[in-house]
Amino acid sequence: MRIGVFICHCGSNIAGTVDCARVASLAASFPDVVYATDPMYTCAEPGQAAIEAAIREHRLDGVVVASCSPRMHEPTFRRTVERAGLNRYMFEMANIREHVSWIGKDVEANTNKAAELVSMAVAKLRHNRALHAASFDVCKRTLIIGGGVAGIQAALDCAEGGIPVVMVEREPTIGGKMAKLDKTFPTVDCSACILGPKMVDVAQHPNITLHASAEVEDISGYVGNFTVTIRKKATYVDWSKCTGCGECMEKCPSRKTPDPFNEYMGTTTAISIPFPQAIPKKASINPQFCKMLTAGKCGACARACPSGAIVYDMQDELITEKVGAIVAATGYDLVDWTTYEEYGGGRYPDVITSLQYERMLSASGPTGGHIRRPSNGEEPKTVVFVQCVGSRDRSAGRPGCSGFCCMYTAKQAVLTKDHLPDSQSYVFYMDVRANGKLYDEFQRRAVEEYGTEYIRGRVSRIYPDADGRLVVCGADTLLGQAVEVTADLVVLAVGVEASHGAARLAEKLRISYDQQGFFMESHVKLKPVETNTAGVYLAGVCQGVKDIPASVAQGSAAAAKVLALLSRDKLQGDPQVSQVDVKRCVACGKCLRTCPFGAIEMVSFRGQDKAHVIETACQGCGICTSTCPQGAIQLSHFTDNQILAEVNALCQR
Amino acid sequence: MSALAGKELRIIGFLCNWCSYGGADTAGVARATQPTDLRIVRVPCSGRVDPLFVVRALLNGADGVLVSGCHPGDCHYAAGNYYARRRLEILRQFLPVLGIDPRRFEYTWISASEGQRWQAAVTEFTRQIHSLGPAPKLEDAEPLVRVADMALTALRPLGTGRNAALDELKAAIKAKLPELDCVIGWKQGYDAAHAAPLFMRTEADVDQLIWGPLNVSNPATYLPSLKGKKVGIVVKGCDSRSVVELLQEGLIRREDLTVFSMPCEGTLDMARVQQELGSYRHIDSVERDEAGVTITADGQPHRFCMVEYAQGKCYGCTTPGAVLADVRLGTPTPVTPAEATPPELALLDGMSLGERFSFWKTQMERCIRCGACRNACPMCVCRDYCVSESRDPHWLTQEDKPTEKLFFQAIHALHLAGRCTGCGECQRACPVGIPILALRQHISRAVSQTFDGYRPGMNTGATPPLLGYAVEEKSIHEREWK
Amino acid sequence: MSNTRFLTADALSGAVAALAATRRVLIPVRQPAVKQSVIFAPYATGMPVELMRATIPPKEAVLPQCETLISYRMLKDARNPGSGSRLELDDTPQAEATVVFGCRPCDARGFAVLDRPYLKGPFADPYYTARRHCLTVVTQTCPDVESTCFCHWTGGGPNSAEGSDVLLTAVADGYLLEAVTEKGDALLAALDGTAGVTDGTDRQEEARNARAAVQALLPAAPDLATAPQAVAARFADGDFWEAQTAQCLSCGACTYMCPTCYCFNITDEGDGVERPGRRIRTWDTCMSPLFTREASGHNARMTKAQRMRNRVSHKFSTYPGTWEGAFSCNGCGRCVSNCPVHLDIRDIVLAALNGRQGA
Repeated sequence: MRIGVFICHCGSNIAGTVDCARVASLAASFPDVVYATDPMYTCAEPGQAAIEAAIREHRLDGVVVASCSPRMHEPTFRRTVERAGLNRYMFEMANIREHVSWIGKDVEANTNKAAELVSMAVAKLRHNRALHAASFDVCKRTLIIGGGVAGIQAALDCAEGGIPVVMVEREPTIGGKMAKLDKTFPTVDCSACILGPKMVDVAQHPNITLHASAEVEDISGYVGNFTVTIRKKATYVDWSKCTGCGECMEKCPSRKTPDPFNEYMGTTTAISIPFPQAIPKKASINPQFCKMLTAGKCGACARACPSGAIVYDMQDELITEKVGAIVAATGYDLVDWTTYEEYGGGRYPDVITSLQYERMLSASGPTGGHIRRPSNGEEPKTVVFVQCVGSRDRSAGRPGCSGFCCMYTAKQAVLTKDHLPDSQSYVFYMDVRANGKLYDEFQRRAVEEYGTEYIRGRVSRIYPDADGRLVVCGADTLLGQAVEVTADLVVLAVGVEASHGAARLAEKLRISYDQQGFFMESHVKLKPVETNTAGVYLAGVCQGVKDIPASVAQGSAAAAKVLALLSRDKLQGDPQVSQVDVKRCVACGKCLRTCPFGAIEMVSFRGQDKAHVIETACQGCGICTSTCPQGAIQLSHFTDNQILAEVNALCQR
Repeated sequence: MSALAGKELRIIGFLCNWCSYGGADTAGVARATQPTDLRIVRVPCSGRVDPLFVVRALLNGADGVLVSGCHPGDCHYAAGNYYARRRLEILRQFLPVLGIDPRRFEYTWISASEGQRWQAAVTEFTRQIHSLGPAPKLEDAEPLVRVADMALTALRPLGTGRNAALDELKAAIKAKLPELDCVIGWKQGYDAAHAAPLFMRTEADVDQLIWGPLNVSNPATYLPSLKGKKVGIVVKGCDSRSVVELLQEGLIRREDLTVFSMPCEGTLDMARVQQELGSYRHIDSVERDEAGVTITADGQPHRFCMVEYAQGKCYGCTTPGAVLADVRLGTPTPVTPAEATPPELALLDGMSLGERFSFWKTQMERCIRCGACRNACPMCVCRDYCVSESRDPHWLTQEDKPTEKLFFQAIHALHLAGRCTGCGECQRACPVGIPILALRQHISRAVSQTFDGYRPGMNTGATPPLLGYAVEEKSIHEREWK
Repeated sequence: MSNTRFLTADALSGAVAALAATRRVLIPVRQPAVKQSVIFAPYATGMPVELMRATIPPKEAVLPQCETLISYRMLKDARNPGSGSRLELDDTPQAEATVVFGCRPCDARGFAVLDRPYLKGPFADPYYTARRHCLTVVTQTCPDVESTCFCHWTGGGPNSAEGSDVLLTAVADGYLLEAVTEKGDALLAALDGTAGVTDGTDRQEEARNARAAVQALLPAAPDLATAPQAVAARFADGDFWEAQTAQCLSCGACTYMCPTCYCFNITDEGDGVERPGRRIRTWDTCMSPLFTREASGHNARMTKAQRMRNRVSHKFSTYPGTWEGAFSCNGCGRCVSNCPVHLDIRDIVLAALNGRQGA
């Protein structure tokens, strides 16, 4: 081979603690290296041009760049060598920045380490082979999981772009958390008024098929060719007949049915439509509270239904959809705050969550938009907002900030004053995070125009006094003294975590998730919408906390990714897949057993059984390679010999 | 390349691309100061880390090896780290029997966001390796000779199969013979004191069948090469476990197989018998009684009492009867189940790490690499395509150094992890008497202790543990890096 | 003195030590294990000298399990890496004066079998030649006979001098050494002055009688005169070879323990740049399918029956055809006793001769 080696200075990032020129001169003595140099910035345009020029001038057939992490620039340099006519897999990187220059200051040790990493890369490169991707057809449809505002935005953008969308929503209506909100910050405009039309668009768009009360049961396949099994849960109402007239709700005798849409602030009927603007506006029966389904006698709704839509013996239904891309937009749930015993652990009726308060503020909510103490129905005079309940709390294992609580608390304080001009609001906060457009201005108005008292400190305890009011004890860390406020109503800004069941879905999608259950994006900064599974994208809070505008933006971003992916008629596979050496394979089948993707099948080859890799299904993990005792199945680009070459480059023998 | 003299030790890290390599990047971005010794090999997934890479590195002079993957549940490839966890845990438990300090190898889980955890892991692991110092080299090990003590107590009666239902067995085989391509059993070997495998195709062949303590070879070894044929096989209890394991792995088909069995009363350790017989021209007679065998050679009688001269594996055997059989004859042998450490393993257990290293070096020096251990193994189904002889992959050089020979044994043992039924054919076949069975016994014990007492070859429906995984592993406790 | 020496029983160790002062002396050494083996190893001061049958023949003295044919380095000018690299290699055969002390006549005849292709063929092998010329073979005539012995079938016997330089025969209270070649004369001369070494002419009669007694212990040998034709006639009889090899495991124990098997493999190890390059020659076995696997993947001998046919045919038919009727089997019996499944080459040859089919 004729290998060229480029030791990047990365300005002073590398050259500050690595003698790059020395590494280059050492590299010149490595096997097959015919050219070695140490450019200032290899990834910059002149640096890349220099690589291309060197390839031509020195007839290089392989290139090693020692610079930053391959997770950052491997794709960049692969394109560079490709432009100069090399196969993109005839390229290796040595990470001498994140793994060398940035983690130690000993120039001698760093220089030696950098040279060794380069020698490993050269050793591997000498075993590299040109790889060529196979192309395959693409199913030009997309699945969107979750019908909150992020999913809605992604669905509408995809549909507008001409891509048929299958939307799956777990609840009986789309709209997500935003549909429960009364007003939105910082403009204090009506949430339902801005979201409602978009929900209607989803219902009406010819390119969107909506499955509400449905969940993803199983996903198989790969980018461009996913097969999705959807479980449509039994609603006991034939939605093709239901007109959403609401007659059934009028007649339903089970009026004490818990009302999840209203955050359990009131009750509803066993057969119900979640709220008047629900999409789809269809009734469904809560089987746990329906007298017909639990006791076998009633039938009031069936008698009342003018279209005969009630089906008491309805079963779950599994349907299959083929799609080429998937957007996960599963949103979030509030953490279980009842573990906070010091706040009453859920036993005090007048300690409520901010989302419950939203329902209380909403004109379509359980109180018709009136603020009432749940305990006695009276208007509160003093309202205390407690921030960071289940956020920024390491002792509870929830170190992260929930992002939007500061702003909605300010909004709720403002709305409280609007509703109850005589009331006084207090906010216990840790820091006020108001970094969005017009956010800080809005928060200041809450203080300056609406007289909200902000007290910097955590609440240590809430307990009821003799009058049934709530004593909120905390510290004012700015004044350095203890504070007690006697409140009529306490609103907790409860932190968020990934939607319940997100982890299970992640496993079906074969994507990663973090400790709070949020899905892992492909790159924190540069690939915030992609995941590590090709063809699966993220939108909204399922990826991490964000407010409505950010969720909408990410919904559009995910749609853009889907549209870009599905604009192609054929997709290129990743050639870093396993390959079977039929001469060595003895058909023991161990690879079939261990492949997590079912990507290996047994085929007959000249009358003998042989393992065969389904290239489009193979994800390139290499478990088969480390399983195969005879080394007959090798993961391209990470073959045994390639890894051994790196090991042997380090260890003498 | 050698490590930076006087400053560094040679430490290799295998990091999965998605989590741990990212974690190391995160640590770098955060300028988290770390020792400089570690060199990282990027792999797609911790499941790609063949334990053999680790052994190869350690035998080639690495002072420490660290493998890191995504946290369980977070694998980019859904299950790669679950497989890795089982394999690397067994590897960790295996290394000491070679004489390698297990503290030179660790595996852990670090996510892309856990830069600090990576920093802590590297720092602590490097400190640990420095506290151990440079790894000893096999070439430098002092010679050490030790011989296993074969004085053992058996878990079951050992006898000579004198009253075995051999005639009924022959009749049963003759009855089935028309449906079968052949039936594998034993015949007299080159003299009356030795048995050899017998392939019965005619009734006259069946008449050559023998049964008793000389039937040492494992006929199951032939089954995979006869796949597709209708084959009958006569088995001892231990042989039947090999048959079951082959069925577990789908290497043979149950419907093609007819298993004949009689209870085994133990087999002779022919190595010790041969030692006692010494040089002889002719076997005059071989007579069996309840307790043993009397072999008369050149007019000289030699007495071999079964409780003293059985194969090491026979003492701890709890399956003298076949685990699976179509035709069972004879009266079952009673067994008192108990834990028993085989003599070869007990020998290794009694040594320090350094002694084991020396022991293996001394043993391996006389290995002639004939491959009898591999080819006699019923589970070595790749024998014609063994990685030890290939250039792609090129795991071993063809040099006759003890490191290469020991590495071959490590390959065999690791490939047998969770599959070895302990039949001992590898060791019995070794013409120069290297006690290599100890390596397999050690790994089998590790598998059994880690996977709920799992014993290969007992249940055709069981998944070999290293071909499966559990999301929660009961007996694997990974190290926390604090 | 004559070309004989008498060694008192006590003088044996001293004689070996005397020889070892100026050359490598390979003696049979017991390897302690549950299954003991005896392997030729260089004598070192203090080692007991026991004349035992060796488990592995002494052919390593001329054909090591692994030998470096060429060591090489690729040299580069690091200041001008594009100028290419220069190859520096060393292919000097490594050989030192060596005595194999105490092998048996069958082992010594092994050297004669190896000599024909390696020394007398159209291409003399320089590495073998260098070692062979430095080698002196002191053979112990057999004091006993084993059930696996069939040296007399193949033209040898417990007294055969073929391949030996000195014959050593146990006599009452000591050993008689008789030189049968000039190398042997030189070796005996080198012993003069060692305590307990005297002229042995007067013990020759006693030695002859001892040898005759052992010779008489051997059962009658079948006549293998027509074996080359009989084995060759079976070449195309697939069923014969299938039946004869059913029990074979395809390992290499028989060939690696054979004093006459001389096949090898050549591989390059190391890249010659960072790690020294070595072109090494290692024992190979025709019982392995790898032996005949071609680069295309095609294999001329896919089945063990074909491979066994090759081994038996080579020893009893093709080798005699090339080398004036000499078998390349010395009847040492190691392949029989050390075969994990005791496959008996005698049975195969006899079956071919007698027209039998089955195993």
